[in-house]
Parts: sequence; C-alpha cells; structure tokens
Amino acid sequence: MAPTAYYIALSGLLFAIGMIGVLTRRTAIMVFLSVELMLNAANLALVAFARAWGDLTAQTAVFIVMTLAAAEVAIGLAIIVSIFRKRETTNVDDLAGLKG
Amino acid sequence: MIAFILLGALTLVGAVITVAARNAVHAALGLVGTLLSVAGLFASLSASFLAATQVIVYAGAIMVLFLFVIMLLNANAPVRGRDPVPFVRELAGIGGVVLAGAFAVLAFTYKDPRPLAEGVAATRGGGAGPVGEVLLTRFLLPFEAVSILLLVAIVGAVALVNRPAPQPDGVADTGGLTLPTSPDLQSEALLPEKVRA
Repeated sequence: MAPTAYYIALSGLLFAIGMIGVLTRRTAIMVFLSVELMLNAANLALVAFARAWGDLTAQTAVFIVMTLAAAEVAIGLAIIVSIFRKRETTNVDDLAGLKG
Repeated sequence: MIAFILLGALTLVGAVITVAARNAVHAALGLVGTLLSVAGLFASLSASFLAATQVIVYAGAIMVLFLFVIMLLNANAPVRGRDPVPFVRELAGIGGVVLAGAFAVLAFTYKDPRPLAEGVAATRGGGAGPVGEVLLTRFLLPFEAVSILLLVAIVGAVALVNRPAPQPDGVADTGGLTLPTSPDLQSEALLPEKVRA
C-alpha cells in the first residue's frame, strides 16, 4: 500500500502540468483540457486523504466535483461553440474583447 | 506499490501528452489515458464507486463531448505566430517546477494520522453502498443542489447554442422553445472593433 505522501506528490505534479498547459496553450479547448487535468489532481488528493483519515466525506466531495465538472464542460463547450460561430476562431489571444 | 508506480507513470505520460500535443485529438486521447489511470489510482485507494464513476462520467461522457467539439470546430490546426505574452513558456515552466516542488515538500512532510489499513476499513471499500449512505443522509442538501445545478447547466447550454429559427412571415417558430438566444454572446461584448467604434 503506497503511503498518502506519494499520492499527494503525484497530485501536485499533475496539477503543475495542468497549470503549465493553461498558461502556455493558446486554443480555448486546449486550455479547457488542461483545466480538467487540474481538477483531476485535486480529486486524487481528496481520495488519498479520504483513505488516510478513513472518512467518506472526501469521497462524497469528489463525487460532487465530478458532477460540477460535467456541468462546467457542457457550459464551457457551448460558450466555445458560440464564440467560434461568431469569430471563426478559438484562439484565446484573439478573444481579448473583455480585457478592458 | 507496483500498481501505484505503474498507474502514476501512465497518469503523468497522459498529462504530458495532453499539454504538449500539437494535435487537439491526440491531446484529448492523452487526457483519456490520464483519466483512466486516475480511475485505477482511485481503485488502488479502495474507492471503487469513484473509480467506476470516473470511467463512466469522465472518460466516457465528458471526453466524448470534448472530442465531438474538437472535431466540430476542426480545432486541429495549430496556432501560428508568436505568443503575445513574452517568455510565457519559460515563466510557466519555472512556475510549474516551483509549484510541484512545493507540493512535494508538503507531501513528504505529511505523516499518515493512523495506519492505512484502518482507514481502508473505515471507508468500507468506498463502494456505492457506503458512499450513497453518506451522500443521501449527511450531504442530502448539496446532493439536491447539484441536481438543480445540472438542470441550470442543461438549460444554459441549450440557450447558448440555440440559433434563432428562420421566420418566414414574422411569426416566431422556435419549435416550442422560447429561450432567448444568448443576447450576451451575440452582442458587441466580444467584438472589440464595434466597442471602439
């Protein structure tokens, strides 16, 4: 049985890779995929702590996070499709209209 | 321990493919690999219900949606030209290394509060029974709130991509749907040229 520390370290690595993706990718869909990586890193840490403390609360939280992720993906992809119809691009550098 | 090393390596390989792949479909398939490996890690943490949910909801439903939109928008073409943010790759790399290092330090100073076998016994295998019991007693209100959220998300997604139906003689035929067709996204908010004009 691998100790909790290993899972948390893996979760941190996964989160860091996701963050690098969010910062460097320039297509809205690729940014979105990287956000999913970060969400999964958080879920992994939660489940690792659920085992460490023997408490199912964290697993319940992960279940709710998964549902939220599904809703977020549906809305986010709808927004991306909407923007693509209007602008013919999903490059985030071109979509700076709200920059102020 | 062997399972952890194998699944952890697969998870990281999939994550790197997701972030580095030029082709959006390859990136999505890399993410599928990561999600399936994370499902395996959940199983190794004796969270069997979450492992199944991860495969069904994430690797199944969510990734199908992603691939569908990637192919619909033909988002495979790589973005050309320089990134307008200077040194973004270098800075993101440094930030990622610092973040991962900080996590690693935190992780390896963490001591398990009790023997792991006790925790595994207390979560009773994390099957649908024990998790459902907690979800439908202590967390009934959040559970119901999530159902409302999902309903709002469905209505919102339909409203966002619903095109106004062609109106031959001034009579609105929305096919029974009378949702507004995303006034915000159709407006000038996303068109800087018009805003400046």
